[in-house]
Amino acid sequence: MTPRNQPFSEDLPERPKVLLVDDDEVNLLLTSVALEDQGFSVTTATGGEQAIATLVDFLPDIVVLDAVMPGLDGFQTCRELRVLPGFESLPVLMLTGLDDDASITRAYEAGATDFFVKSTQWSLLSGRLRYLLRASRTRVELERSKSRLARAQDLARMGSFDWKKGQGGPVFSIEGLRVFGVGPDHPLNFRKLLRMVPEEERNAFIELTHNAMERSTVLATDIHARLADGRQRIVHLEAEPEFNEHGNLIGYTGIVQDVTDRRLAEDRIRHLANFDTLTGLPNRRQLIWRAERALEHGRRLNHQVALLLIDLDRFKVINDTLGHGAGDELLVEVARRLRSCVRHSDQVLESSLETVGVRSHRTLEAVGRLGGDEFVALLPEVADERDAERVAERILEAMRLPIIIGMQECFVTASVGIAIFPRDGANVADLLRNSDVAMYSVKSAGRNSSAVYRQSLSGQGREKLELESALHKAIERDELVLYYQPKIDVRGARMVGAEALMRWRRQGVLVPPGDFIPLAEETGLITPLSEWAIREAARQARIWQDNFGFADSIAVNLPSRMFERTDLVEYIHTAVTTYGVPHHAIELEITETGLMKDLQNVIPALHRLNEIGVEISIDDFGTGYSSLAYLTTLPISELKIDRSFVRDLGMTPQSSAVVTAIIALARSLGLRVIAEGVENLRQMEVLHRLGCGIMQGFLFSKPQPPEDIEDWLEQTVLPRKAPWIGRAGSADVTEPPRVTRARPLRIKPVA
Amino acid sequence: MSLSPIPVLDEGALQRLRDLDPAGKNQLLERVLRAFENSVVRLGAQLVDAREKNDMQSVRHAVHTLKSSSASIGALRLSRLCAEIEAAVRQEALAGLPGLLDDVDRELAVVLQAVQPMRSAG
Repeated sequence: MTPRNQPFSEDLPERPKVLLVDDDEVNLLLTSVALEDQGFSVTTATGGEQAIATLVDFLPDIVVLDAVMPGLDGFQTCRELRVLPGFESLPVLMLTGLDDDASITRAYEAGATDFFVKSTQWSLLSGRLRYLLRASRTRVELERSKSRLARAQDLARMGSFDWKKGQGGPVFSIEGLRVFGVGPDHPLNFRKLLRMVPEEERNAFIELTHNAMERSTVLATDIHARLADGRQRIVHLEAEPEFNEHGNLIGYTGIVQDVTDRRLAEDRIRHLANFDTLTGLPNRRQLIWRAERALEHGRRLNHQVALLLIDLDRFKVINDTLGHGAGDELLVEVARRLRSCVRHSDQVLESSLETVGVRSHRTLEAVGRLGGDEFVALLPEVADERDAERVAERILEAMRLPIIIGMQECFVTASVGIAIFPRDGANVADLLRNSDVAMYSVKSAGRNSSAVYRQSLSGQGREKLELESALHKAIERDELVLYYQPKIDVRGARMVGAEALMRWRRQGVLVPPGDFIPLAEETGLITPLSEWAIREAARQARIWQDNFGFADSIAVNLPSRMFERTDLVEYIHTAVTTYGVPHHAIELEITETGLMKDLQNVIPALHRLNEIGVEISIDDFGTGYSSLAYLTTLPISELKIDRSFVRDLGMTPQSSAVVTAIIALARSLGLRVIAEGVENLRQMEVLHRLGCGIMQGFLFSKPQPPEDIEDWLEQTVLPRKAPWIGRAGSADVTEPPRVTRARPLRIKPVA
Repeated sequence: MSLSPIPVLDEGALQRLRDLDPAGKNQLLERVLRAFENSVVRLGAQLVDAREKNDMQSVRHAVHTLKSSSASIGALRLSRLCAEIEAAVRQEALAGLPGLLDDVDRELAVVLQAVQPMRSAG
């Protein structure tokens, strides 16, 4: 006999538990002793009833049943055992007589795993049991991995299928059926599958499978399927050909997967990439793509294409006065109206158009949003420019009715520039640029109209366009610089502050402010420009503080619209904190005209600025129409006498009268007064005599880079070498009413 | 049926039983023989009862079990008799059945007689 406790292979339990059932007590005893000897743990029962009772609280690894027993025989016992939960796949070995074929068949029918002819060679039985246990373990593992696969496929909404040649159609796994919303009891044949596919796609799908099979190529496609419950799903189908040993195609094996969610997400991504989120119109990328396709078609079919650039007039004003939210609302409504002016197609177009047919370029027609308040209408085929002009007229007409934004009626007009392919440009970039030139010509001719591009327009318009585009990049390219013009206390012959003036060093050439500040105001670029200036001035204040103890203010010019920004105070605070200078290191200058124009909107900002110590200076004072009543309540610190009065000083009596009046006004209001544009000693002396002691002008210093200011201080002011030094102080003139730079001179904020 | 000169209990079968418990630690042989006696008592009674009632199924069950029990301990003649009866019942060849059953009765006594000394010796 084999040695006791022979170790089983690793994949079997250490001592497999056997339930041995036999009414023959002798055999029961002998078999159990033999099996124990072979390393099994044996539990015995002398009949079927006892066996079933034993199984209530005992789970053996294998059951050995004598077939013929009084009472519940082996077959019945096996049947009863199989319906017990957990015993569906337990290995059961039926013991039969030597010549009992009928029992063998009955054993299998009863659900036995195997049969074994009773013998007194008990070691043979143990070998068979071990074999059965191993087979059962393998099967359990297979079942487990199968169910894991099924679970994974279920999670991935995936299933498999086989398509054997000559068998009519695919045979789906249970998971595969589930993908199509079909239960396991309703096999899905090819015809039923086809019926789920929308009619218009059916033939293409049949053709595709047919072609794949004919060429034995991989089959991969998405099909739309309407399930029995009405749900529309997108099912991805992918199958590989299978070949026999002779290399002949025997069928396909593959997977189906419900990719509806994924495709929807992909659509969404594609949409986001191609459409403007605010208006839902095609975005720049999509527009340019469409335009390029349209040009290709135009080239091939020899027809013209029109590009209309639509720019809203004074949109910036609307945005600035009503806020960005209102501006957005307005853009959405404008977009809606523009759509109605063309045969707009929302289709996402990315792939080739070739398959869609010759006239498919019609589907390219659209209105898109280039960005901001700029729109483009693409007309993929026009007979002549009149066609394009008619669309432009329709667009202008569509704008005529007011747009209601938050209870307010807004009248919006647009300027439309038209460029025609191939006449006005051979590519999209040229067409865009030239439509832009045409659009600018409309703007300068008074807006609210359209114009077709003409060669003659290009000079001036293009220059401006290029300037604008370059100005956009000026900040990031570090092309902007601040020049400084000192404010001089002539009596003390010292610098008491400086005004920062913006310069644009464009490709090494200094662009005068008059050439780009108006453009910046018009385009809205003035905002980032102003912010940059505040930051830069704060930085310079710090450098001067470190270099020569500068403790005065640098005045920055701001347009009135900047004062309407709620974050201006915060912005200044951040700037000065960043460079570690006090708030009063920054002074803000606003023109009298700008201030009065937007008085109601500007006043709150002035108060807040004053509270944190930022002083306000009124620039170009005397040129506007200040309400004196307001002036008394405004939290301002300084009046700057406009250079025109200074220039005429001593030449016309009116100007000295105005200057005298301004000085008197400043004195009575407790404001500093400063004269700018002082160019000669005569002007200086007159101003000084009239009572204005602080001045600014070429007489003292032109606006200079900050380093030059330091040199000037060191070489001219400190050594007292300039001709103006000493004149005011020593001159035996009437003692001027001193307007001191008594800092902090602050008006208490109005409660 | 005449008794052949072979021994009542087959020596080879007995040896196989001894091999299962070579040192005799489990007194296996004695336990097996006792189990056999118990079976015989039970099945003998069942046979008598079944004959009286002419219950062929019961006869068949009894001889089936007896067939394998006796084979296990080497009572080969008894086992063969039981197999014949089982086959006869199955084939419904009932003519020779009473004779066969009598033979079983006789052989049972012989086997029990042969077993008894071995058991007490074991």
